[in-house]
Amino acid sequence: MIILIGLNHKTAPLAVRERLFAGCEDAKTLLPEFLAIEGVAETLFLATCNRVEVIAVIEDNPETIDKLKTTLMKKGGLTDGEASCLYIYRDDKAIKHLFRVTSSLDSLVMGETQILGQAKDAYRQALAQNATGVALNRLMHRAFRAAKRVRTETGIAANPVSVSFAAVELAKKIFGTLTGKKILIVGAGEMAELTGTHLVGNGAEEITVANRSQAQAAALAEKFHGRAVGLEALDDALAHADIVISSTGAPSYIITEDMLRQALRKRKNPLLFLIDIAVPRDIDPAAGEIENVYLYNIDNLQDIVDENVKMRRREALKAEKIVDEEVAQYSNWLKELEAVPTIVSLRTKAEKIVRTELEKAQGWMTGMENGDREKIEALVQGIVNKILHAPVAVMKEESAEFSAQDIVAAARQLFRLDE
Amino acid sequence: MNFENVELIFFALAFFLAALSAAGYLFSLLVKRVMLAKISTWILAGAFLLLTAYLIAAAINAHGFTNLGPRALFAFYAWSAGAVYLVLQFKTKTRLLGAFIGPLVLLFVIIAAGQEAGKTILPEGLQSWLATGHLALSIVGEILFVLASCAGAMFIMQNSLLKSGKFTSMSRLLPSLGDLDRINHLCLLCGFPLLTTGIIAGAFYAAFVWENLWTSDPKVIWSFIAWLVYGVLLHQRLALGWKGFRMAALSCIVFLLLLLTYILVKLCFSSLHNFV
Repeated sequence: MIILIGLNHKTAPLAVRERLFAGCEDAKTLLPEFLAIEGVAETLFLATCNRVEVIAVIEDNPETIDKLKTTLMKKGGLTDGEASCLYIYRDDKAIKHLFRVTSSLDSLVMGETQILGQAKDAYRQALAQNATGVALNRLMHRAFRAAKRVRTETGIAANPVSVSFAAVELAKKIFGTLTGKKILIVGAGEMAELTGTHLVGNGAEEITVANRSQAQAAALAEKFHGRAVGLEALDDALAHADIVISSTGAPSYIITEDMLRQALRKRKNPLLFLIDIAVPRDIDPAAGEIENVYLYNIDNLQDIVDENVKMRRREALKAEKIVDEEVAQYSNWLKELEAVPTIVSLRTKAEKIVRTELEKAQGWMTGMENGDREKIEALVQGIVNKILHAPVAVMKEESAEFSAQDIVAAARQLFRLDE
Repeated sequence: MNFENVELIFFALAFFLAALSAAGYLFSLLVKRVMLAKISTWILAGAFLLLTAYLIAAAINAHGFTNLGPRALFAFYAWSAGAVYLVLQFKTKTRLLGAFIGPLVLLFVIIAAGQEAGKTILPEGLQSWLATGHLALSIVGEILFVLASCAGAMFIMQNSLLKSGKFTSMSRLLPSLGDLDRINHLCLLCGFPLLTTGIIAGAFYAAFVWENLWTSDPKVIWSFIAWLVYGVLLHQRLALGWKGFRMAALSCIVFLLLLLTYILVKLCFSSLHNFV
C-alpha cells in the first residue's frame, strides 16, 4: 500500500515546521533510515519550509506505519503533543494529496511553481539513492504530469497574485515590451525595490533612484547598477523615465500634475506608467487624467491581485477535477500491479510445464509429419491457455477493487508459485 | 479542364475561410480566449493564400492583370487587407486586431461575390498597367489607413480600460498600447507614400487617356481630400510628435468622416469611378 505522512503550513505552526525541516535536510542519511524500517519497500520525502511529506510503499501493517511516524518525529524532535500536526493518508488519499501538492493546490500561494521544482529535486535524490521502485517511480511521473496538466489546462497560474507582479503585467499591457524601458524609483522602499527587480527581470533597463537620503539612494541604485539622484533632480528624472515607482514616506504629494505635464513635454515616448505604492500617496491623483499617463495606486494594484486570487480559486475547481482523473488512472494501474506479478509467474510456470512435456514427447513424436506435430503443440497450448484464462481474469477483476490480495495469495498457494 | 471553374472554386473556398476566421475572431473576443484568435489567424492566412490563387487564376482567364473585372477588384481589397494584417502579425503579437480585420476581409469578399466575374472594369481599349497600378497602390494605401484607424480604435478601448485603474480580462485580451501605437505609426508611414504614388499614377493615366491631369470627378476630389487629411495626420505624428491617445483618437475621427463623405459622394454623384 501507499502511505503518506507529513505536515504542512495548515496543520503545523512555523516553529514545528522549522524543526522538522532542519532535521530532514540530509537525504543521504534519512532515506536509508526509512528504508531500513521493516515493511518499507520504496520511499521518498519532500521537505520545504512549508511542508514535510514522506511517501512510502509499505506492507499493510500498523507497526510499519507507526515506525515511520516515530522516525519522522524523532528527526524533528516532535513531542507527542505535536504529533497531532502530522497527517497520515493511505492509498487513494495519499496519491491525491501528493498530486494536489505538486499541482500547487495545497500551497500557501495557489498556483505557484516552486513546489514542482522541489518535488522534482526530492525525486531525483530518491532516485540517486535507489530508494524508489516501480510504484513510486510511476507515482512521481504521474504527479508531475498532473501538475503540468493543471498548469496548462487551467488558468491557475495565469494571472499574478502579488502586487509587484501585477505591476509588471500592467507595464506589459501599456508598453508591449519592457525592453529598453527606463525606470525611476522614488524613495528607497522595499516594495519599490521588489517591483523594480521584477521589471528588470522582464527587460527594463536604466534604473534611476531618487531619494531624500542620497546614501540610501546610492545603495539601492548600486543593486541595479543604476544611478542615484537627490529629490531636487526629480523633474529631470521624470522627463527621462517610462515607469515611475514611488514609495516615499512624504506626507504630501511629491509628484504633482504640473511636474508631470512639464516632464511629458520634454519626452519622446509618450506613454508613462506611474505606480504609487506609498501611503499617504506620493503622486497627485489628478495626474491620472493626463493624456497617455497611467496611474495606479496601491489600492488599484491590491484590487487586481484580489481579483486574480478569486480567479485562481475558481480555476482550482477545474484543477481538482484533473487531479481526481489522474488519481483514478494511477490507482487503477497500481491495483492491477498487485495481481500482475502473480499472473506473470502463473503464465511462466504453465509455459515451462508445456515445454517440458513436449520435450518428453519428442521420442514418440519423431515419426510424425511436421504439420501434425505443430497441430499437437498448438492443441496443448490452447488447452493450457483456456485453463489459465479464468483465474487470470478473476485476479484482474478483483485487483481493480483492491481486494485481490486473498485471491492472489490463494492462487500462489494452489499453483505452488512460491516454490 | 475548365479554368473558369478553378477560379470559382478558389473564390468559394476563400469565401468560406474568410467567414470562418471572421467568426473565430469575434468569438474569441466573446469568450476572451487568445487561442481562438491564434487559430483564426491561421485560417485567415489560408483565406489569403486562396485569394492569391483566385486572383492569379482570374488574371489568367482574363489574359492579364489589366483586364480584371469588378469581382477581382474587391477580392484585391480583401487580399490587401489580409496581407497587411498578416505582415503586421510578424512584427507585433496583436492577434486581436483580427477582430477588426477579419470581418473587414469578409465584407470585401461578400461584396466581391456580388459582382460580375467576367467583364473588365476599365473601358474597352483603355486598359493599361498605369490604371492597374493606380488601383492597386491606392487600394493598399487605403487599407493601411483603415488599419491605422482600427489600431486607433483599439487603442482608445484599451486606454479607457487601463485608465479606470482596474485590469479586466478584456484588457488582458486587447493588445498593449505600445503595440497599437506602433501599428498606427507603421500604417501611416507606409500608407501615405503608397496612396501618393497611386494618385499620381491615376493622374498620369488621366493625362494619357483624357489629356487632362485633373478631372473634377467627385471621387477624385474625395480621394484628394483623404490624401491631404492623412498627410496632415502623418505630419502631426512625425513633425509635432503626436503619439498615443491623441493620434489614436484623431485617426478614428478622420476615418469616420472620410467614410461618411465617401458614402455621400457615392449616393449623390455619378462618377468615372463608378465601380468602387
